[in-house]
Amino acid sequence: MSDELDRIRREMHSVLQPEGVRPDDSLKITRRTFIHGSLVFGAATVGQAFAWWPLLNTLDIAHAAEAPFKFAWISDTHLYPRSLNTRFVDKVVRAAQEVQAMDPPADFLIFGGDLAQLGKIEELELGVDLLKEIKIPKHYIPGEHDWYLDMGKKWGELFGQPNWTFDHKGVRFIGLDTVSRGPDYWTAKNMTPEERMGHMATLDGTVAGPWAGVGRDQLDWMEKTLADWDKTRPVVIFSHNPLYEYYPPWNFWVRDWREVHEVLKPFAKVTNIHGHVHQVLYNEIGTLRSIGMLATSWPWPYAPEGLPKLTKPMIRVDPGDPYDGVGWEKIDVAATDEVDVEYIMWGRKEVFVQSPEDHDKNVSEIIRPRIADNMWPY
Amino acid sequence: MTIKPSFRSLLRRSAAAGSIALAAVLVGPASAHKDPVSPEQLKIYQEAFMEEVRKGDLLFHGDQATADAMGVGTSLSKTGMACAMCHPMASDTHPQSFPKFQAQMAKFATLRDMINWCIEKPNQGEKIDPESEAMKALEAYITWSNTGSVLQPGKF
Repeated sequence: MSDELDRIRREMHSVLQPEGVRPDDSLKITRRTFIHGSLVFGAATVGQAFAWWPLLNTLDIAHAAEAPFKFAWISDTHLYPRSLNTRFVDKVVRAAQEVQAMDPPADFLIFGGDLAQLGKIEELELGVDLLKEIKIPKHYIPGEHDWYLDMGKKWGELFGQPNWTFDHKGVRFIGLDTVSRGPDYWTAKNMTPEERMGHMATLDGTVAGPWAGVGRDQLDWMEKTLADWDKTRPVVIFSHNPLYEYYPPWNFWVRDWREVHEVLKPFAKVTNIHGHVHQVLYNEIGTLRSIGMLATSWPWPYAPEGLPKLTKPMIRVDPGDPYDGVGWEKIDVAATDEVDVEYIMWGRKEVFVQSPEDHDKNVSEIIRPRIADNMWPY
Repeated sequence: MTIKPSFRSLLRRSAAAGSIALAAVLVGPASAHKDPVSPEQLKIYQEAFMEEVRKGDLLFHGDQATADAMGVGTSLSKTGMACAMCHPMASDTHPQSFPKFQAQMAKFATLRDMINWCIEKPNQGEKIDPESEAMKALEAYITWSNTGSVLQPGKF
């Protein structure tokens, strides 16, 4: 880990995690959802091989549910026009069918951003069309791929306000817009909307800069939204980007994460569920738990540094199988007030690494940022 | 009894080695391309390499104009996907682990074999000539991106 990132982590820890502070003690982490429900056999192996890792994925939000319920998460579908890429379409169809087939049904679906790949009207409308299969209420937050062709115009027409809140059976849910407040990198260079979108759509690009952020106005809105909420009651926040600093060169963060945590600090039970990273992730900062979700489109390797120590890594995927390392998530709020997050990773018996060779960082690597987009002819 | 022949043999071998070394010293500097390298030459060599890296970077990130100019505009991908979408900063390409037995291909493979496999399978494109300029540029970008990685040939 670089010295700079290490310094930031230490600062984050000292500010938000004084001795004894961590997510609520009543949060019980069990093996139950450690694996796909249909694959109980793997559990013993996982427990033995990685007993020193905390078991993730099961978040118990005490006093959460007035009644048991489920909800589902799909994100990062990155749809191209149907004529160009049918694989991505097929995977959204599969996710939608599986969400709709949940029994008992989910109360609602969260779509966590990056419905489209290049923000085209055709791509966004295709996404809406495919998700019509899901009849339960749907709530959408935007991703950067949805936004930067027309600066959110079409997305707004289709889905309305990008940030929102609602209460459901004793839990306050908040959806954040972490993508629309990117610094203007296009005007001075006279970029076309397509060029602007192209840079934004390149994860390892160097032109779009630190675009991920919540913004002072939205922080104020979040503070106001939470003002009347009992500080011991659970809060679940949905965002496209993680609300901590994981790896800024790929915008695996929001640049104003410190301010976000200042707003959330008084609340004892906060869970952040986020997309963007296309990988299994887990972290705790102060009283906040963060959990990263899979994409349906393609998985990303873990960043070269900064992977939270509490993350039990997902298994190294087979690039020859378009259904490997991707999927959706089922979140089950049980009668016992536990909230289980289950990764539905297609084509896999085991979601998590089983041996060092299963980790994508088994081959150690030192990598460097790209250069060609800085030589672009602007 | 056996000392004498061994001693003679040793002398013969020493004389032969000495002759080769002397010839190398005398002849070497007189041959072509053996002048001390100049800063200007180093700059040219480095620029030639970085130009390949730059072209490889653009190909890797799906730049259509570069792909067209290098004759692989319709080959590299037919899905909209570019290499960098799964390999930001060329991570997880592991050039330092080749050659190796590559499980997906079930054969002993080079990095170029793997690049062509990715073009053909995830990108649903068409294999490119392993000796082509485009392949060399992709190889240059991938290896340059992994500068500092330790060679681990054969590592899964």
